[in-house]
Amino acid sequence: MVKRMETILQTTDLKTYFPIQRGINPFSKTKKFIRAVDGVNMTLWKGTTLAVVGESGCGKTTLARTIALLTKPTSGDVIFDGKSVVKETTDPRAIYKNLQMVFQDPDSSLDPNVRVGDSIGEPLYGLMNWSKESVDAAIQRSLEVVGLSREIAERLPGQLSGGQKQRVAIARAIGPQPKLIILDEPTSALDASVQAQILKLLLELQQEYSLSYMLITHNIAVAEYMSDFMMVMYSGDVVESGQTDELMAKPRHPYTIALISSAPVANPWKRNLLEVDIRGEVPSAINPPSGCKFHPRCPYAEPICSRDRPQLREISPGRLVACHFVEKTA
Amino acid sequence: MAALMSVQGLSVSYQSRGGTATALDGVSLDINENELVSVVGESGCGKSTLALALIGLLPTPPARVLNGAIEFKGTNLLQLGQTRLREYRGTQIAMIFQEPLSSLNPVYKIGDQIAEAIMIKRMRDDGRSTIDSEFMQKTHKVTAPGASRLPRARRKLSAQLKEDTIASLKLVRIPDPDQVIDRYPFELSGGMRQRVMIAMALSQEPALLIADEPTTALDVTTQAQVLKLMKELMNKVKTSVLLITHDLAVACQVADRVAVMYAGDMVETSSVYDLFSKPLHPYTQGLIACTPTGSKRRVDLKPIPGSVLDLRTRTIGCKFVSRCPYAMAHCSEKKPSLIAVENNHWVACYLHGEANGDHTANN
Repeated sequence: MVKRMETILQTTDLKTYFPIQRGINPFSKTKKFIRAVDGVNMTLWKGTTLAVVGESGCGKTTLARTIALLTKPTSGDVIFDGKSVVKETTDPRAIYKNLQMVFQDPDSSLDPNVRVGDSIGEPLYGLMNWSKESVDAAIQRSLEVVGLSREIAERLPGQLSGGQKQRVAIARAIGPQPKLIILDEPTSALDASVQAQILKLLLELQQEYSLSYMLITHNIAVAEYMSDFMMVMYSGDVVESGQTDELMAKPRHPYTIALISSAPVANPWKRNLLEVDIRGEVPSAINPPSGCKFHPRCPYAEPICSRDRPQLREISPGRLVACHFVEKTA
Repeated sequence: MAALMSVQGLSVSYQSRGGTATALDGVSLDINENELVSVVGESGCGKSTLALALIGLLPTPPARVLNGAIEFKGTNLLQLGQTRLREYRGTQIAMIFQEPLSSLNPVYKIGDQIAEAIMIKRMRDDGRSTIDSEFMQKTHKVTAPGASRLPRARRKLSAQLKEDTIASLKLVRIPDPDQVIDRYPFELSGGMRQRVMIAMALSQEPALLIADEPTTALDVTTQAQVLKLMKELMNKVKTSVLLITHDLAVACQVADRVAVMYAGDMVETSSVYDLFSKPLHPYTQGLIACTPTGSKRRVDLKPIPGSVLDLRTRTIGCKFVSRCPYAMAHCSEKKPSLIAVENNHWVACYLHGEANGDHTANN
């Protein structure tokens, strides 16, 4: 890439563990953890989209929530816009001016008893301390930008369709004019025809406001369509990351290969699904397999894979893979 | 060749306080033997209602079958009483649902639940309507008293029945089936549970398997395994499958024929290859154009403007007219009927077939 790029978001060895109680003895010494995010290093470049893909339970949502300060990290650091949000932040509102989030289910992220205009206006009062006039103007502008009519501001979320609700959630996120929006499965609850509308809207907004997106999704096709960079997670670990076109064209980690070939393609002449060869299922995050967490399902596994956890290695510029035998997939 | 199942002009409505919602508005569909037909549509298009109607599980009320016929091997299922219907439901026509955890009984072991299905199958083959002690004696060498009561008998799985149960789990490729039979549903993963459901359904050797969003709750790698399994078993045990899905990509991966539904109407049915090479209905075209194919990055997705209309609104014309780029004046005056434009390619649109609208097949 010719243009010098700046980072907007970086994490270093970020870990988020959730303690779980086993049995009923509250004084039990043996504490177990769900290792939801298990040492993630990632970089998001300004003005680009990073898609985090993986199956349920791989830690992608926890990663997003940790970055957005909704969950406290166990260790590691998040550097957003040059500042550590874990160590330096006393008031998270300073962060939320520049970092907003859109959640999967607009039914639970919009207050059912608050008119949508007020929902969109709330962060503008709370974060930006704007006057009433400028907030009102901003509500109208936000609604217009996401393609909704002005009257919608007076309605309750229950009176809107799923796609309209997600547009409202996006309008609320862009209101404070953030630098980064974390999109957590923004279209998973929507129908195909509405999903396309929302994805297109998100791309247009990114162009117009030079936004950076961190897109959490389980849908490879959506990730490929939206992103510049992609990061594949498996059971709390990043197994592969790189530029989207390169990664999709030539996945190198055995899990990425399985994931991409399992994604159904809308093309009856290319029935990849019936040729997939993958066994087993996603492991438990409480007792993950030793070494490489993918080794029980991996076609290339050797004894070392169950012993040593592979580190992310740069195999070509910008392309990182965590596999002991990455040359086998070359 | 006569179709295995033939749905003709089926209309179903739901009564609610807000009005009457027409979930199915004169739907016709044929399913041939050993064929995988996929019904595709967005939420609220009536695809699940169709599945429930076919197997006689519609909640009535609020649902009401207004008219139409469901012919299965020449018998109209809608005219059968509940007792006669049970000869078909679960045996000749089996069904698997989206969420296997709510279809499996949480307090019985997996093995016992499958064994029950196998036992019922044997009972029916034996020409009986209940499992009595005589039957138990004959098939499982279990002696009365109490053997006639199902739960008691389930606990004493005979060696043969246990073997058959394990065999049916092996068929759906569950690892360590001899251990899985002693587990409870909550101890299995989502993919395993769905395999158990498939094993139970196929133990009846059904002529038709209805699968309502069977992989929607599963991860993609698991989904691939389950769909592949379904497709293989279908050819092995010679059954037809009706796959209900919202995911066009899933349909085109496994289906022989695809039926597209929109707001209670069947708008297009054709072979999966014809549907993708020359989709005729504007809605099908829109659906294909707005599905990210993954073949090229940032290919221009063309969203369908607007959203699905409320099923409670009464319409006399085509239901897609408000979102259709080719809408004409008479589109909102009279509903187009599903007509064959080519060999086995049916479409309900005035853009195709001049005769459309001049005659109506189903009133």
